[in-house]
Amino acid sequence: VLGWRVVAAVAWSVLLLPVCTAAFIVLSGLDPFHPVRWISNSFNDFYTSYVIFCIFFMSVVILVISIFNVEFYAVVPSIPCSRLELIGKIIHPRQAIHSVVHAVMGMLVAWCAAVMTKGKFQFLAVPCTPSESPGDAVPQKCLNEYHLFFLLSGAFMGYSYSLFYLMNNMNYLPFPIIQQYKYLRFRRSLPLLIKHSCVESLYFVRNFCVIYYFFGYIPKVWICTTMDLHVDSKLYPLDTLTGLLDLSLFYHAWLCGVFLLITWYIAWLLFKIYATETHHFPVQPTFAEETDQCLPKILNSNPPLIIKFLALQDLMLLSQYSPVRRQEVFSLSQPGGHPHNWTAISRECLSLLSDLTQRLVAQQEAAAANGRAKQPAGELKVSPQTPGAVAAEDVPLQSQRSNIVPRASMSSLVKSSLMPLKTSPGSEVGSPFSSPALNCKMRIQDVNSPWQGSVPSPEARRRGPKLWTSGSDLQMNGSHHESFPVLSARVGSKAVQPSFIYTWLRNKQEQIKNFLSKRVLIMYFFSKHPEASIQAVFSDAQMHIWALEGLSHLVAASFTEDQFGVVQTTLPAILDALLTLQEVVDRYFKLPHVSSKPSRISGSLVDTSYKTLRFALRASLKTALYRITTVFGEHLNAVQVSAEHKKRLQQFLEYKE
Amino acid sequence: AACTIRAFTWHPHTSKFAVALLDDSIRVYNSSSATIPSLKHRLQRNVAAMAWKPLCASILAVACQSCVLVWHLDPTSLSTRPSSGCAQVLSYPGHSPVTSLAWAPSGELLLSASPVDTAMLVWNVSTENCVQLQWFGGGGVTYLAWSPDGSKVLAATPSAVFRVWEAQMWTCERWPTLKGRCQTGCWSPDGSRLLFTVLGESVIYSLSFSEYRGEMQGQVGGSKTASIVADLSETVFETLYGEERIGGEVHSMVWDPTGERLAVIIRGHPDAPRSQTVIAVFRTRNSPVFELLPCGFLRGERGAQPQLIAFHPCFKQGALLTVCWSTGKITHIPFFFVSAHVPCASPSRSPISVMASVREQPLFSEL
Repeated sequence: VLGWRVVAAVAWSVLLLPVCTAAFIVLSGLDPFHPVRWISNSFNDFYTSYVIFCIFFMSVVILVISIFNVEFYAVVPSIPCSRLELIGKIIHPRQAIHSVVHAVMGMLVAWCAAVMTKGKFQFLAVPCTPSESPGDAVPQKCLNEYHLFFLLSGAFMGYSYSLFYLMNNMNYLPFPIIQQYKYLRFRRSLPLLIKHSCVESLYFVRNFCVIYYFFGYIPKVWICTTMDLHVDSKLYPLDTLTGLLDLSLFYHAWLCGVFLLITWYIAWLLFKIYATETHHFPVQPTFAEETDQCLPKILNSNPPLIIKFLALQDLMLLSQYSPVRRQEVFSLSQPGGHPHNWTAISRECLSLLSDLTQRLVAQQEAAAANGRAKQPAGELKVSPQTPGAVAAEDVPLQSQRSNIVPRASMSSLVKSSLMPLKTSPGSEVGSPFSSPALNCKMRIQDVNSPWQGSVPSPEARRRGPKLWTSGSDLQMNGSHHESFPVLSARVGSKAVQPSFIYTWLRNKQEQIKNFLSKRVLIMYFFSKHPEASIQAVFSDAQMHIWALEGLSHLVAASFTEDQFGVVQTTLPAILDALLTLQEVVDRYFKLPHVSSKPSRISGSLVDTSYKTLRFALRASLKTALYRITTVFGEHLNAVQVSAEHKKRLQQFLEYKE
Repeated sequence: AACTIRAFTWHPHTSKFAVALLDDSIRVYNSSSATIPSLKHRLQRNVAAMAWKPLCASILAVACQSCVLVWHLDPTSLSTRPSSGCAQVLSYPGHSPVTSLAWAPSGELLLSASPVDTAMLVWNVSTENCVQLQWFGGGGVTYLAWSPDGSKVLAATPSAVFRVWEAQMWTCERWPTLKGRCQTGCWSPDGSRLLFTVLGESVIYSLSFSEYRGEMQGQVGGSKTASIVADLSETVFETLYGEERIGGEVHSMVWDPTGERLAVIIRGHPDAPRSQTVIAVFRTRNSPVFELLPCGFLRGERGAQPQLIAFHPCFKQGALLTVCWSTGKITHIPFFFVSAHVPCASPSRSPISVMASVREQPLFSEL
């Protein structure tokens, strides 16, 4: 699917290239005093061979850029949570290759532009102005500094483009909120693209002038020595202030930048438009070889992420607009009478939703535990040099109580719904005197349980140095001495006795962490930006939004269109999943920072819709529930749901939520 | 005539309505609660239109001078003055004053339009993202109406052209009118018929659209020409009290959600003596053939002109017409009948369709 789309996008961007080149030639020969000569010169230039060659060359450049677009795209944005992650992202080798190649491409484009501009930019080496010194008959080759300036500015723009691409998450493919034909979408974005390119090129040229002022002599000297050119002493060298204040140089460099950015942005925009176009997946395969492409199969297997996104988008559209395909979803299979299509689709949507529920619950637990573990850490920080000291005796008792609280704060509702899905032994919940050390050990064996956020599990620690949880580790060590008698009293646990070396090493680790956490610089790099970490949790929420909409539209349509009653049997499960998720989301939004909206910049080319996905999820969840309650009305009271859920459904029926 | 009521809108699912007053405040009246929240915001000036979000408890979108305000109210709260923090501001440069709003019936998208902006904005309210739908020719948008089945949108412009957009791929059909701009329009409940009127003419036009089957992507499917279904030019009625001249241009028109009653405000000729503004009620039917029969007239107290009319979206016993008069009174007029479309829940009702018992009961009136 994606292959053909990429080819089409590349073909269109190459086709638009001559148009841009023509515009560039016309504008670079800008001569307001002799308009007729200007226009005629430009038209003559279109047909010269070097322009054709340049166009061909630029097509190759666009091809390379498009290949990079395809390699780097992502439907789920990767959001760096801390500054260290951001720096890591920048110096990652994949990103380094991206930047280097873009810089080289930029230089090539600038060379093409310089060649097409003619005049003083055309060649790297020009004959020097004849000097007055007698006896100097042979004219020597001098370095054309303007040309060099152009090439280096091209390289700098390529590199800056790559950097901006990374910082603004431009590899993220946002799916549009309304469906439109591709041409309309392209036409709508074009003015914004042109304006954005002009402004950005201005910034790049300004930055490059500053850099060239300070460091321009390095490449100059290097080129002169390697190519045996001389520096023309008659002309002003460009890395001085007077040299750089040349208006025509500035204009041409800016124009070259605009040309480069426009062509690259057009390639990127066309790729985005083509990739996010809706694809029609058949629900019921008509031929045997198409079975792999039909919607239920794709949803249940693990296809590349973009195919899954496109499939979910198609599900959302078919549930709203297509009665024929809805009938196929509600149909029964021929010999057996099983609703395979509906089962597959609903199972996938429900698993997506429950997965999100668990993720949010884990996050909440971690956040709640962090808030509680801070208290004992406060008093322990006073004496970091005496780990495992006797002073920590009274801490274990407190920490035991603090461990109970987060567990009890989980509502019975969420517990009961997640219980059947978990294989965690019930003994963890029961015993109020279990020491946190034991819990930590058991966690190593039972890493799938999302509940034990009160003491960080090993994988949580692996995620990133969470310095604020160091206190609970210390208390674990402190309670080590006390835990021995409790160990023997433990029933049915397979906990291993913590070895002394292990705890001593852990101790040292915590000491170092504590020490470093006092250093502001380290905290600056390691601290997790709360807004970014919240966005990271919801980064693939677009899938869940579509699953919600598709599912609720299908259920609402089934009230009148479902002939065999296939939806009714799954209705309790659907309502359960939706109500549970709604509760969890509501509780999540009470955490700090979650409900504050990030500031929005309107009219920018960069798409930041991934920052507000959580609000869209909350709104579409509510709308999905209201859709079901509005259509079914009082009949919902006949559906088998738990008592708590019944109460909430009643609230929805009365429009009190 | 100056009226204290600027805009009026019913909640689509419950007995709750919002009224925008001349002092730029909005009051929300609920039949099941005694508190009347009053909404004020510093950006809420020159309120032109309001719309409740469908499939939601209480989210109200307000079209203001410079932006669109979306109030997120708590349906169970008893406070009479919700804070300005509940309001979300949706603004876009160049899109002001906003005069018409329409929510998609499926509840996700909000359309906002302004007469000076040639682009309609489609908002995704929760992410505050908007998409501009631009067209050329005709100026901005003066009137927006979304069909109840969610498939089409009517957008009337200040010039003699109106557009009908289809809501799946957002392509539009252009309809030039004969004399003036499209004054008002309303859709049948299944989205297959559009009734509209033109400024300067005293007729009601009807435009039919092909049945929406979902397979025609990108086609609006309108028929070639519009046909005239009602002539409302001035006629003289002989009544007990003397001669009554009724007829003229149409000011606004609403169709009740069951598709059985159509209410039209007819403004009499301003020069003619003793001409008055009345509300004409028609009995309508959309299937199998379209039928429009006059039913009666509604008139208020002496000197009161009807300004705004709206039907209750879910009145179970027929239709409920709400009229806002120029004196500041709001009256609710019920029409009791058994609708042919809605399945009757209780079989004990008499199946004879009863015509209007036109009573005037000043409920929720205010000055």
